[in-house]
Amino acid sequence: MQKIQRSSKAARGTVTCDNTTMHLLKANDFVAESIRKRMAEQNILLLNITSSAGSGKTTLLQETIKRIGDQANIKILVGDLETERDADRLRAVGGDALQIVTGGICHLEAQMVWQAMEGLNLDGVDLLIIENVGNLVCPASFDLGEDYRVTLIATTEGDDKPKKYPRMFLTSELMLVSKVDLLEYLPFSVDNVVADARDINPDIDVLELSTIKGTGVDAWCDWLLQKVAEKKEAAAVVAS
Amino acid sequence: MHEISLIRTVFNTLEAEFDAEELSRLQAVDLKVGLLSNVEPTLLQNAFAAVTQSEGKYETATLNIETVPVEVYCPVCDKNSPVKNYKFACSCGRPSSDVVSGTELLIHRIHFAEPAAVRST
Ligand SMILES: Nc1nc2c(ncn2[C@@H]2O[C@H](COP(=O)(O)OP(=O)(O)O)[C@@H](O)[C@H]2O)c(=O)[nH]1
Ligand SMILES: [Mg+2]
Ligand SMILES: [Zn+2]
Repeated sequence: MQKIQRSSKAARGTVTCDNTTMHLLKANDFVAESIRKRMAEQNILLLNITSSAGSGKTTLLQETIKRIGDQANIKILVGDLETERDADRLRAVGGDALQIVTGGICHLEAQMVWQAMEGLNLDGVDLLIIENVGNLVCPASFDLGEDYRVTLIATTEGDDKPKKYPRMFLTSELMLVSKVDLLEYLPFSVDNVVADARDINPDIDVLELSTIKGTGVDAWCDWLLQKVAEKKEAAAVVAS
Repeated sequence: MHEISLIRTVFNTLEAEFDAEELSRLQAVDLKVGLLSNVEPTLLQNAFAAVTQSEGKYETATLNIETVPVEVYCPVCDKNSPVKNYKFACSCGRPSSDVVSGTELLIHRIHFAEPAAVRST
């Protein structure tokens, strides 16, 4: 099948393209679909966790491992521009983490995740979590084949983030408002952030979180375990 | 951002679809860039200039960028509405995050000069 509407003669004049074949991110989206298929075959829940740098992703994942590491088989892939630091932090609490060093690229692409998955033993894994590179812009455009996208926004970042980075909030299922232990010191309104995020994405779930004080961490872990269970139920229905 | 790699993707896509003779007559590439694509047209133009110069190809070609506004679909009214002030809602007031345009990042049209033989007649 001809991908572009053109005659068999040499191209001349104006050639109008087919929108799907000429999409510049189609290579990424193709690999993301392959990841999604593979995760479905293996009944693994895949999460893509995004935020600006320093919003508390790694700290939350450390706490998650400590709390439910014995209830679910969890593996973590961590994207970082240059260092292995976050994977080391996760291993220090007993997590099974693999670092993807992007070498300066400001987001993870599906191809990088696919390659990293080659280095992971996924047998018996319930939950694969990807900690994306700290950036609310570029990671928003790259589907990694995830079931859910979770975005953190810390009280220290100001409450204008959803309107500055609408694509990320549009494509996330859950927003975690992190570092709420600092709310009393900061000009940050949780209500405003939630209202702005829901102007963009009326269906987005919200959880307030302080990993350091423990606020909301149980609710987060319950959410995770419930999504893991739902994925397995869905797989059982398909299999039966 | 990743403008340089996007421009490389544009050229790789063209090179997969057209042969060297055709591409030697490349005049312009029209991209559609949605306002939600997180791509900055100016940076894309800079990247285009940088890549064509450093690779010594397509230096006479131009890049045209059409930005596409964000629109959402409302199933109740069965119509699209523009998104204003970051409110993803229909003009009837119902919220909707069913985005039907604004995330585009694609090659829309490609312009070629006439082949030499045709031009001489
Ligand atoms: N006050 C406060 N600080 C936090 C909280 N969670 C993380 N932090 C701090 O925020 C900084 C960045 O956290 P990190 O988990 O590395 O963020 P990441 O870049 O998103 O992975 C660290 O200094 C953490 O100690 C929290 O709930 N409250
Ligand atoms: Mg981190
Ligand atoms: Zn409507």
